[in-house]
Amino acid sequence: MSDEPRGASSDPEADPTHPEAYVLNMGPQHPSMHGVLRLKLHMIGEEIVVAEPVIGYAHRAHEKMAENRNYLMFLPNSSRIDYLSGMIYNIGYCQAVEKLLEIEVPERAQYIRVIACELNRIASHLLWIGTYVLDIGGVTPFLYCWDDREQILDLLDAITGSRLTYSYGRFGGVTMDVDDAFLTGTRTFLERMKSRLPEYDTLVRKNVIFIERSRGVGIMDRQTCRAYGVTGPCLRAAGVAYDVRKSEPYGIYDRFDFAVPTESAGDCLARYDVRIREIEESLKIVTQAVRDLPAGPIMPDKPKKKFKPAEGASYFAVEAARGAFGMYLVSDGSEVPFKLKLRTPSFSNLSSMPKVLAGTMVADTIAIVGSLDIVLPEIDR
Amino acid sequence: METPTRTGRLGRFFTGFGSLFHGLAVTSRHFGRTIFLRKNVTQQYPHEKPTLPKAYRSAIRLIRFPETDSHDCVGCKACERICPSACIAVDGGKVEGIKKKRASHFEMDFALCSLCGLCLDVCPTTTLEYSRLYDEAGYNRNWKHDLLAEFRAREPAFIAEQRQREQAEAEAKAQKAPKKEKPPKEGDAP
Repeated sequence: MSDEPRGASSDPEADPTHPEAYVLNMGPQHPSMHGVLRLKLHMIGEEIVVAEPVIGYAHRAHEKMAENRNYLMFLPNSSRIDYLSGMIYNIGYCQAVEKLLEIEVPERAQYIRVIACELNRIASHLLWIGTYVLDIGGVTPFLYCWDDREQILDLLDAITGSRLTYSYGRFGGVTMDVDDAFLTGTRTFLERMKSRLPEYDTLVRKNVIFIERSRGVGIMDRQTCRAYGVTGPCLRAAGVAYDVRKSEPYGIYDRFDFAVPTESAGDCLARYDVRIREIEESLKIVTQAVRDLPAGPIMPDKPKKKFKPAEGASYFAVEAARGAFGMYLVSDGSEVPFKLKLRTPSFSNLSSMPKVLAGTMVADTIAIVGSLDIVLPEIDR
Repeated sequence: METPTRTGRLGRFFTGFGSLFHGLAVTSRHFGRTIFLRKNVTQQYPHEKPTLPKAYRSAIRLIRFPETDSHDCVGCKACERICPSACIAVDGGKVEGIKKKRASHFEMDFALCSLCGLCLDVCPTTTLEYSRLYDEAGYNRNWKHDLLAEFRAREPAFIAEQRQREQAEAEAKAQKAPKKEKPPKEGDAP
């Protein structure tokens, strides 16, 4: 490899001598960039020839931090990897360690985990709908989505004591039991959300401006998705019914009746449709979990005090709001993990951008990058 | 995308125009609901105090147990070791006259705490709890709090009371002990 940076200079198509060739830096502090993503766009006129995502502005060395502290001490980090669906990451990390240590989780705790995770997934998707529609010009849905999301945050706040960085799971269970007020609140929210979805449909999905700006824009076909390891709603929008909850069920997800929504177009509109339908499926799961919630303890009778797994390694993946989140834990037999590799979905999703963005117009960049639902701290981690 | 015909274009114009009104109907409904039906959700903060959920997490403090009217920290340093932010500094040990160990120093830096609650989990005497503070602010980088401050004045009195309690316990044990020892001996003999 030469010293030349990847992108325009090494690409024969991006001719720097072209009279209209220039480089546009979008971000890292652009109001429409979610977080600190910098897109280096090599353009000719308004057309993007080469797009180069520049990441690393929010790097906090989570993987390295995991190597310097014992298994329990990494818990608060886990929901800070992706703060928008922190519960799923937090519980996911607990489940990964439980798999390594072979800890049994009580039934009630399993159900509470599912309820909390699915509520968090709905909150994350709602946030995406709000900000995405805001990005491409609609302000009103943002307020409605935030209103709904607030209900979820209040519910989770009541049981975890926190709005974003939950740190709710423990190895073997959860920190706090749910009470009747929480369950009643959840049922009220489920009813409310069911009546809200048709409103979103009228307000956003049938809106001609939204359709024109997202239909046929940023098409990611199956092949691209497979090549770059794209997962989550982006992959399902391309027609691949891959969902870790269905494909490799973890926890108690095999007990619930829910579908994996797919679309075939693979454009921004399909990604919106998939997310909306995922909210519906999550509502179904929460309804079933609240109905079946058994009584019992939320932590094992004799919780372990020392977490010292035998030498070995294990891989565990969960379906986060943005795709498959995998953890590869290597233990050398001590109390401190030898290595924790975090496979975050947004990183793979973003890596497909150079291919998808090439040849599109600069005005569509925000619509395309926004539709991925990336969270930068999760990419940089 | 294929170029639409003239009639197609006209149709799209009307459906598009219609969709805007459908959206407007939703917002008007919400507007009406907000104006007439909805209660205020804004909290007038300095005048109204927020209602904190039961699980609310804030800076930790030592529980004052009603039986002893003091904390139960033995200075074992479990919280200091588990703290991911290393914001707790505990010291303690043997106190002259009582069996129980006591903390002599419990300092915590609120600015570094991430409220994960691991210290509450590992505390062997469960003497830690979340406080209900929500509007704390630090004015400098060294935002250290001495959690033992409120217990200092009572400490000599506590030690005296604890000595009495321990003596009473020892006497009770001495009375019970011979009775307890007999049955297993009889059981073992045959």
